[in-house]
Amino acid sequence: MTSRRANSAPAPVSGALASSDFSPLVPGVDDPPEVARARAAAWKRFSALPWPTKKSEAWRYTDLSAVDFGALTPVLHGAARAAAADGDGSLPEEARGVLARSGDRSGVVVLRDGQVSHIRLEPEAASEGIVLCSIRQAAESHPDLLRHALFEADPAPAEEKLWSLHIALLGGGFFLHVPRGVKLGAPVHAFHILERSGTLSSSHSFVHAEEGARAAVVDEFLTGGAAGEGDAGGGRNSRNGAAPRLDSVSLHGASVTGDAGSVVEYVSLQRFGPGVRHFSTQHVEARNDSRLVTFNVALGGELSRADVTSLLAGPGSDSQMLALWFGDSAQHFDHHTLQHHAAPHAHSDLLFKGALADKGSSVFRGLIRVDKGAQLTDAYQTNRNLLLSKQSRASALPNLEIEADDVRCSHGATIGQVEDGQIFYLMSRGLTRGQAERLLVFGFFEEVLARLPLEGVRERVRTAIEEKIGL
Amino acid sequence: MPQNETISELGLDEYKYGFITEDKPVFKAVPGLSRDIVRQISTHKEEPRWMLDFRLKALDIYESKPMPDWGGDLSTLEATLDQIYFYLKPQEQMERSWDDVPQEIKDTFERLGIPEAERKALAGVGAQYESEMVYHSLKEQWEEQGVIFESIEDGLEKHPDLFRQYFATIIPAADNKFAALNSAVWSGGSFVYIPKGVTVEIPLQAYFRVNAERMGQFERTLIICDEGAEAHYIEGCTAPVYSTESFHSGVIEIIVKRGARFRYTTIQNWSNNMYNLVTQRAQVHEDGKMEWLDGNLGSKLTMKYPSCYLVGDRAHGEILSIAYAGDGQHQDTGGKVVHAAPDTTSQITSKSISKGFGRASYRGLCKVYDGALNARSNVECDALLLDETSRTDTYPYIEIDENTASIGHEATVSKVGDEQLFYLMSRGMDEAEAMAMIVRGFIEPVAKELPLEYAIELNRLIELEMEGSVG
Repeated sequence: MTSRRANSAPAPVSGALASSDFSPLVPGVDDPPEVARARAAAWKRFSALPWPTKKSEAWRYTDLSAVDFGALTPVLHGAARAAAADGDGSLPEEARGVLARSGDRSGVVVLRDGQVSHIRLEPEAASEGIVLCSIRQAAESHPDLLRHALFEADPAPAEEKLWSLHIALLGGGFFLHVPRGVKLGAPVHAFHILERSGTLSSSHSFVHAEEGARAAVVDEFLTGGAAGEGDAGGGRNSRNGAAPRLDSVSLHGASVTGDAGSVVEYVSLQRFGPGVRHFSTQHVEARNDSRLVTFNVALGGELSRADVTSLLAGPGSDSQMLALWFGDSAQHFDHHTLQHHAAPHAHSDLLFKGALADKGSSVFRGLIRVDKGAQLTDAYQTNRNLLLSKQSRASALPNLEIEADDVRCSHGATIGQVEDGQIFYLMSRGLTRGQAERLLVFGFFEEVLARLPLEGVRERVRTAIEEKIGL
Repeated sequence: MPQNETISELGLDEYKYGFITEDKPVFKAVPGLSRDIVRQISTHKEEPRWMLDFRLKALDIYESKPMPDWGGDLSTLEATLDQIYFYLKPQEQMERSWDDVPQEIKDTFERLGIPEAERKALAGVGAQYESEMVYHSLKEQWEEQGVIFESIEDGLEKHPDLFRQYFATIIPAADNKFAALNSAVWSGGSFVYIPKGVTVEIPLQAYFRVNAERMGQFERTLIICDEGAEAHYIEGCTAPVYSTESFHSGVIEIIVKRGARFRYTTIQNWSNNMYNLVTQRAQVHEDGKMEWLDGNLGSKLTMKYPSCYLVGDRAHGEILSIAYAGDGQHQDTGGKVVHAAPDTTSQITSKSISKGFGRASYRGLCKVYDGALNARSNVECDALLLDETSRTDTYPYIEIDENTASIGHEATVSKVGDEQLFYLMSRGMDEAEAMAMIVRGFIEPVAKELPLEYAIELNRLIELEMEGSVG
């Protein structure tokens, strides 16, 4: 960690959550009034709620009590200012390395320990009326949109504790707004870099595509301070050497809204280094005839939990929910999903695939909920798991709650291992057992990757997976 | 039954088992549950001391456990239980000859067709009326081979060692709240022992009837199927329709020893004011095979998940579940398979139909322990929705700690297709006939496993329930 980076955030308070005097409001730091109010209310709610235990269905397989939140140092909002970045030169090297090898992008955002440090929109996109700014700026320019997505969100009871903490400690985030009919050609690429150990930081990504607009966002999560050109925490081989261990917790939220006829692609690529515990809550709202894709990739960290909700809010809406994870050492991945069909004539399709090596473990709990009156719903949900080692474990809970009758819904879940015959074939062609296994895992993932519409994004994810599994 | 017979020609009444018999019980405990009631039950049964101790300890466990907060709506159950008669003794002693059964009880079972069924196709029959078995008989042919088919009370008295060796070993009192309740106040049920190598070719049957208002029935069945033995046990349940709620909570424990094969069939057609909360579990040893055939047609709320604990190599478990949820009914049913030994296999097939304001939920568990090498399990759930007000849910839990396991789960939800109806109607059927035929086809995989008279009964019920479902 360099001193330049350390200066960009306010001095944190150690063990703050455990102290009764703690307040997430920082006096003298400019917080828009509405954000400050929401922060205070969320803090009050957080303080009143008990921590979820394993007795709660939603936390049955992930022991939150193992995370000592009280010992962490919250990184409070404040001092960081978006740097006026003219080119990639001023970006942190982790981001530069990735961008140099990725395709086009419309904008770049860098957050360090939850605080925005860089934010840049390509001039061409800005000229079309696209807005990319910090949450703080958006609180002034687009208060209604922000309020709806962030401060009036209604999390499930089991998620409310962490959601309240997320809002109370919100350090920063970005706001992308694509006006009516405008098509963002290339994605906005955001880097969420964790730099300090023992911290608790919170950031939010906000995406809104107006009628007929098109938007794409990649949220990439990584540990900073790694050697090399930005492969921090990624590869099986480099992981231990490259990214330092950070005993930190990252809270992240994403609000993605697509108005009528819009097309939005949202990708979360989590490749933190060891030690990090990551909690992500994503709310996706698909209005009439919109097409929304979310893609969650979990490769890094020690514990990674994602709650992904797709609300099919308008007739003709379509939600693709995709995810991949590869867990080794003692990594634990927990994915919760909700396909909520509130409107008729909507379509949702979920495909989540995971592979586990060493002592890796994973949970998939997915729910398709079809409300009364959401007739002509088409909803599908598939979860497939590969167990590659003796000590790996997987749980799958694919649930359905259907209150309309004219629907087509199905779900499927499988847990198994790589087929011996396939391994044998590849070994007969000269690969070692390990190589054959990794190649087959990559093939197993390819079905999901192929569903990502943007080629550049697909390549970025493919590369990250290759680095992780050491292909 | 001719396929083109119309519903009106069937001439069935609504719930034909809803009649009430005027009876004169010899003992009726005061309503509600207390230590005194438990003592009274034990005294009436002239039980050994250990059983009274077991009951009292179970009562403590029952009182210490909270009401389940999952499954069906149990919010008013506690109030209902305060009004329930936990013990009602209909006659002085159990009869071996049908002629000695009191006339009004005999009339009841005659109307249900039990004696006729016994004459025709059963190896043995037990009949429970309120809290006690009123009749139990076994054909001589099986008695000579050492088969034991007794009331549970006679099992305890006549075979104390065998009884005590297995009683409450498969479902201990602390297993769940309602198993604890049953352990405290159990009365009636069967004790079955099939000796080594004996095959009982025709079914044993127990019939459970609740007649009194606000009655609680707590039968307890213990079945030991010794090495290489084979048998089939059928239970049927009915009750009159009262405006108040009744309660049924059975515990069924089955031990399937090495190479043995056992099938347990339940056709539950309780009236729609009955809570039916049952724990059924089989422990299956090496090369043993257990089949549950679980038909849930009646009751207000059923929560019942027949289980197979596969503890020996190559043990096999099979659960076929069919649920019908009409207006005001919630069938929360399914099955559990636990693989605790290598090369064990299991299959769960669930079919449910929801009509009107009915709700059918599948809830299941597939657990594979580390070391249960090459375990294979497959679960299939299909739900059919007949009205826009009906509801269906699927809640499977899949927990896999063994990487050589191969596990699959699939579920589909659909309505009766317009194309299917149109096709059948173009062949000359009216809509009601076509609907009934499609539903019959849907449940066929389960219905064909039923003994003939039950299959016919099920078909009739479907015909009847289809009445008025069209249009």
